[in-house]
Amino acid sequence: MDQQIVNAIFIGSIYALFAVGYTLVFGILDILNLAHSAVFMLGAALTYSLVVNHGQPFAVACILGIAASAFMGLVIEYVCLRPLRRRQAPPIAALISTIGLALVIVAAIEQGTASSIFSWLWVDGANSVAFPAGTVPNPIWHIGDLTLEASKVAIIPITIALMLVLGYVMRYTQVGRGLRAVAENPRAARLMGLDVDRMISLTLVISSALGGLAGIMFGVALGDISPYIGRDNVEVRGLAVIVLGGMGSIPGAVIGGYLLGVVEVLTLVTLGSGASGGVAFAALFLLLVLRPQGLFGTRLRERI
Amino acid sequence: MKRMRFVCWVAATLVIAACGSSGNTGGGNSANAYAGKTIKFGAILSITGAGGVYGPQSRDGAMLAVKQINASGGINGAMIDLEVQDDASLAATSAQKAQTLIQSSLDLALLGPTLSNSGVAVHPLAESLKTPILAVSTTGIHIVPDCNWTAANPTTTPCKYVFRDSLGEQTAIPDNIKSYAADAHPSTGVLLVAQDDKFSSDGGKIVQDTVGQYNIQLLKTIPFSKAAADLTPYVTEAVQLHPDVIFITSLGGIPAKIMTGARNLGFQGQFLGGNGFNTATVSKQAGAAGKGARSASAWYIGNTFASNQDFVTAYKSEYSKDPDQFAAQGYAGIKILADAAKRANLTFTDLAGDRDKLRAAMETVNIQTPLGPFQFTSTHDVKQTVWIIEMDGAGGFKLDHQIQPS
Repeated sequence: MDQQIVNAIFIGSIYALFAVGYTLVFGILDILNLAHSAVFMLGAALTYSLVVNHGQPFAVACILGIAASAFMGLVIEYVCLRPLRRRQAPPIAALISTIGLALVIVAAIEQGTASSIFSWLWVDGANSVAFPAGTVPNPIWHIGDLTLEASKVAIIPITIALMLVLGYVMRYTQVGRGLRAVAENPRAARLMGLDVDRMISLTLVISSALGGLAGIMFGVALGDISPYIGRDNVEVRGLAVIVLGGMGSIPGAVIGGYLLGVVEVLTLVTLGSGASGGVAFAALFLLLVLRPQGLFGTRLRERI
Repeated sequence: MKRMRFVCWVAATLVIAACGSSGNTGGGNSANAYAGKTIKFGAILSITGAGGVYGPQSRDGAMLAVKQINASGGINGAMIDLEVQDDASLAATSAQKAQTLIQSSLDLALLGPTLSNSGVAVHPLAESLKTPILAVSTTGIHIVPDCNWTAANPTTTPCKYVFRDSLGEQTAIPDNIKSYAADAHPSTGVLLVAQDDKFSSDGGKIVQDTVGQYNIQLLKTIPFSKAAADLTPYVTEAVQLHPDVIFITSLGGIPAKIMTGARNLGFQGQFLGGNGFNTATVSKQAGAAGKGARSASAWYIGNTFASNQDFVTAYKSEYSKDPDQFAAQGYAGIKILADAAKRANLTFTDLAGDRDKLRAAMETVNIQTPLGPFQFTSTHDVKQTVWIIEMDGAGGFKLDHQIQPS
């Protein structure tokens, strides 16, 4: 049971790390960026490729992977969102547009083989791969009956630090005030002299960089990098987490991530593995019936 | 007299040549009919999606066989045209692609699909459209001969047009368990089974039905979803029961994740699995954690018989990498279809008739392949040697045992 509690915390950290960037965009733009899961995967895939296929040190690969993910934030803005915003398209159009970009990114990676035009990016096609042993030091500590892997333990302080830094930036810095102004009322923010488009771009860059970092941490901790890790493993749960925490709430995303992880694992232990997913989402449904705005969801200006 | 003798000699030579030609092609008329023609085969494979771990290798093996056959003059002079379609590992897409290949592309026969999940959608379709289809990687239950079997309609009527050159899990898993039980006499096991695809759940049922025969007590069956972000909680459940063996029936990279997780948790027992283990991709991903993990395979790279060595050499030359079981089965699949087409006296004018002739010829295939000497059973399943292999901890495999077909 003790080990399962540790497992629950680790899973919750992964959900939270993914959901922080996810919820940031919703908090500012009121749009679900469904390309976030693809950026999550891209960060992991590119970092893996830089290490294994291009011989880069892990730290350099990490920085480049996060930078490329941040750049994808600009692609999302300039390709998927800004043209629609200019045409005053409804939010659902932006959602569909980001789904389209996600499909393109996943397809590009899964087509990446040694003989394809994407070979510089990825050569393993649809395969699942892991960083070679020793790429990242990953000592395993056995304390009593507990087993702790350094790569998983590291996710916890990183997630909490990100939540605190983002919270600080949003609340106490000029940029944060600008972002909150855009979240509150873009038109009023523009009339006050804010460059709203720039703020939105900045939001997507930060969100995507966080998504890329989350993907890298996922790949290192779970030894699983494939074109599908975002879509299959975390997207739906990430969405559940930000709904549970309150759409747009960064602390809500973190707390929601841990809650979902704990509920899933406790269900597995008490009711068996067959019930795990079902009970977790039934609990989520029940909570939303009782509190539709989620745990931390309040009025718009208080969300971030 | 001399002239007479010369005429007789020429006549005899022509007769012998004609007989030789007839013997090789299955009929002088058919040889003429084949020359300059194209024989269209289709393949529905999972190049992307969950089956993308296996499909590309099947495709590469099949394409290599096509290239070799065409380069050596084709099938009695007819060139093979192989069209490969990616079903994205989705059953509905697989069926739609198969229908297109049968009804629009007018292919003579099909290979595939990669996954058993897709097989249950595609094979009944091919059967109803009377088109021969050769499964080159599907290993689940009810692939052959009862392709129309469903839980609601458990018909056992044999399908006439569905064949398989991949080793079914109903043979492979029991052989693997039997072999390991004889070697190590394990007494307890835990089964980790992916519950959301046919291949994995079929494999789980077979493990449950088999272990008792070898006095292995199954302590627990732990189903999981392939979409679980982290399998560690499931693996923890298994490891905390301290079994001698963890049985894994799942696809893609999941077996490797389970092995790594279990070793990190201190598990020192044995991993036994199914067809999902049998690619270097999984062995490589598992790395040292997978060392010793055993499965029954339809093929082993180190086999020294000529048809395998030639295949391995040609594959390495073509793709600059080692083939795996799926490449060997894809390659063998085309060789089987080509052999049948060669003997089928195809008309090239009556597609339905030609499909039926090909089906009949497939039933009598008896050729050397990288899988070994190959024949179909009376139920269109594979009849071949089973190779018990184990992961070597470095991305490859080594051979433990070989089991001859009964």
